[in-house]
Amino acid sequence: MSPALCAMCRASRALIIRPKNHQKLCKACFIAIFEAEIHHTITSTNLFSPGDRIAIGASGGKDSTVLASVLKTLNERYNYGLDLVLLSIDEGIKGYRDDSLETVKRNAVQYGMPLKIVGYDELYGWTMDQVVETIGKKGNCTYCGVFRRQALDRGAKMLGIKHVVTGHNADDVAETILMNLLRGDLPRLARSTNIITGDEMSEVKRSKPLKYAYEKEIVLYAHHKKLDYFSTECIYSPEAFRGSARSLIKNLERVRPSAILDVVRSGEDMARLVPEEVTGISQCKSQKISLSNADGGDEGAGGCGSSNGRSSGGEMAEMEKKLQQDEEAAGREVEITSVSSHANGQRHDRIGGKSHLRSRAQGDTGRKLLRQTLGTCKRCGYMSSQEICKACVLLDGLNKNRPKMEIEIDVEDEESSTLRRRMEGIALAAG
Amino acid sequence: MVDKQDLTTLNRPDPLCKRCGENPSTHRIRSEQVCQKCFGQYITTKAVKRIETYRVRGSAKVARKLLLPLSFGASSASLVHILDRHLQGQYDRMNRVTYELYIVHIDLDIDDEDRETSSMLLEKYKARYPRHTYSSIGLEEVLNLQIIDWNNLGLPHPPSTDPQKPGMERLKVLIRSIPSTTSRVDIISTLLSRLLVEAARTSGCECILFGDSTTRLAEKTLTETAKGRGFSLPWQVSDGMSPYGIGFSYPLRDVLKQELLSFCSLTTPPLTDLIIYQEPSSHVSSSSKLTTIDDLMTQYFQSVEENYPSIVANVVRTSSKLKPLSMDGTAACGLCGLPVEEGTDGIFGWGGDQNPDARPARENEHHGILCYGCSRSING
Ligand SMILES: [Zn+2]
Ligand SMILES: [Zn+2]
Ligand SMILES: [Zn+2]
Ligand SMILES: [Zn+2]
Repeated sequence: MSPALCAMCRASRALIIRPKNHQKLCKACFIAIFEAEIHHTITSTNLFSPGDRIAIGASGGKDSTVLASVLKTLNERYNYGLDLVLLSIDEGIKGYRDDSLETVKRNAVQYGMPLKIVGYDELYGWTMDQVVETIGKKGNCTYCGVFRRQALDRGAKMLGIKHVVTGHNADDVAETILMNLLRGDLPRLARSTNIITGDEMSEVKRSKPLKYAYEKEIVLYAHHKKLDYFSTECIYSPEAFRGSARSLIKNLERVRPSAILDVVRSGEDMARLVPEEVTGISQCKSQKISLSNADGGDEGAGGCGSSNGRSSGGEMAEMEKKLQQDEEAAGREVEITSVSSHANGQRHDRIGGKSHLRSRAQGDTGRKLLRQTLGTCKRCGYMSSQEICKACVLLDGLNKNRPKMEIEIDVEDEESSTLRRRMEGIALAAG
Repeated sequence: MVDKQDLTTLNRPDPLCKRCGENPSTHRIRSEQVCQKCFGQYITTKAVKRIETYRVRGSAKVARKLLLPLSFGASSASLVHILDRHLQGQYDRMNRVTYELYIVHIDLDIDDEDRETSSMLLEKYKARYPRHTYSSIGLEEVLNLQIIDWNNLGLPHPPSTDPQKPGMERLKVLIRSIPSTTSRVDIISTLLSRLLVEAARTSGCECILFGDSTTRLAEKTLTETAKGRGFSLPWQVSDGMSPYGIGFSYPLRDVLKQELLSFCSLTTPPLTDLIIYQEPSSHVSSSSKLTTIDDLMTQYFQSVEENYPSIVANVVRTSSKLKPLSMDGTAACGLCGLPVEEGTDGIFGWGGDQNPDARPARENEHHGILCYGCSRSING
């Protein structure tokens, strides 16, 4: 049996079967094509402009480490002219981030990039350990999740950086698409397919340059480039819908390797079929750029650190119960609604004013599409569908419980004004 | 197959039907315990209500012709039964009917013996429901359709290469040349729906009544998404006019698969000997390994339906909200015939296809327009 030759260079021995299309490649060609494809993603979507300062959301895991390594390589090879910074979040859980933060610190040296580690204490005035001390172990996942969602954006703002890139890969995007079909959330499905989230309203935009890269190829790349990353199983058990979608994606990939890419493609196509009355976004506006992570849950979930994640399955059971109640209620009504034919004519009743973009339909069970107004939090300025964003609401609750030994002015005002001061400081730094 | 009847009678303290309060409860509708009669009524009403919303405006004098594809599965068998009773009811009341059924079985069998079995089964339908028109069409008939330009699809073995061979042989060669089981199943179901649409067109049917249950439509939502056919969902799961100019309707869209299976055993006589039960994947491979995307989703939703039936229904409600884009600037896919936007055809040249060097050699040759899904199944 003679060894197979690489399908690309036809000179070296093929050592790698590409997970994406099962092409047999040599190591050098695999690395070359992996980088070339990400370069293609970046250039074809005009992701960056020369002179941009970019924060790479770095967790020390494989995705963000590969992202940092590839961006450094491409930035030098193609003269992107980017100023790359590593940005890490420290939730303040003793011991949990130690190893991964050490990895990020080494990465900073290896890639010659400045590193900024921002703690929850800096961002919110609370570490996760303090949160647990105050509210107990139960329910702290909610806090961690909500805080995490904003942390990268807030951290970037502190650094005066307007663009955060994250390591979300094709598997994550495909998983999110299936998850949103399962939980019936078309607006989020549409948003998750975009490479850039956040628009002119949000001060920090986010993007995922690895959107089309397979997780398995990311692992291969990290392995063959001998990248230094922190590999640990995430101890946070994903919520039921995401877990369900994740195992579907894994099975689909097994049956047909292209399926991950095919789901991403379907998602992109379907995003354009979501009618305006569902997204609340006019079709003629923002085809490419969509609303951002305001309500969270768009992106793959990260690890939470506390091992007592909510029991998986609960989320699905909860939704099932709610849907059944809705069905029963609807069944009692006289059925007025008949099968709606495909109504033509898009509705363009946009609410005036820049700061009012209608967002997702929440708690939607098909009959009624509730609309929400997406604005910014009165407290911290972060994008929010409520007057006060979830993080600030949680902070209010926490601050009311803050142990007496701390100087007590009006706790609420004190906290929010610190936050505001911080935000102002950031605005100055940015300007 | 789980028999709900046994489960419910065993652990039910209250034996009376929640709806009529007269008969002992034997079945369950979501959270309600009901009797056999009320259960049957519930299923029938769900389907008939859909049909009635689809009634003609204006002159109901001439009965409309509707095509009903019969696969011999529990769903299409139930639909035939329900609509037959519905028409009988119309006839009894008004001495006329508002629609007529043209029942078509597309024969996917390859062996003569199997074809014999299915034609015998079709005879049983004719005997039991004699009011309707029936027809059986072999899948190979699709090769004679003028609307498909077989030479322009980039197929490795276009069926036109040896026209002297019988259609069945040429179809076998074509199917075998498709690279994977998932792709083969995908192409076969695509050809099947083209054949149905043509059968509707040539017979003057204005609409096709598909027997898909809620569960099946949920499966389809995820299957089509996973095959890169997300763009086609508005026509695959919603009632309405298809791009072919024939209406598509799914009268059983509010009934779960398990509910239909129960329904089949409580008609008099039961529908069971009119049905071919198919275990997913059993015919494709001897191992228990799931071999196609379709099997995978069937199995997945079977388990979701057991525990979370409303979530299944919600998936369908969700995908039914997708609206087709305008047909301006589209070209029909050479294989499935659905509209493809300019510049979005094929599996190459979009964001997710970053590098021509990464393509296997064969596919660079030029051919006609194919949608992403068809292109994926032909090219692998
Ligand atoms: Zn090579
Ligand atoms: Zn806030
Ligand atoms: Zn009853
Ligand atoms: Zn097609």
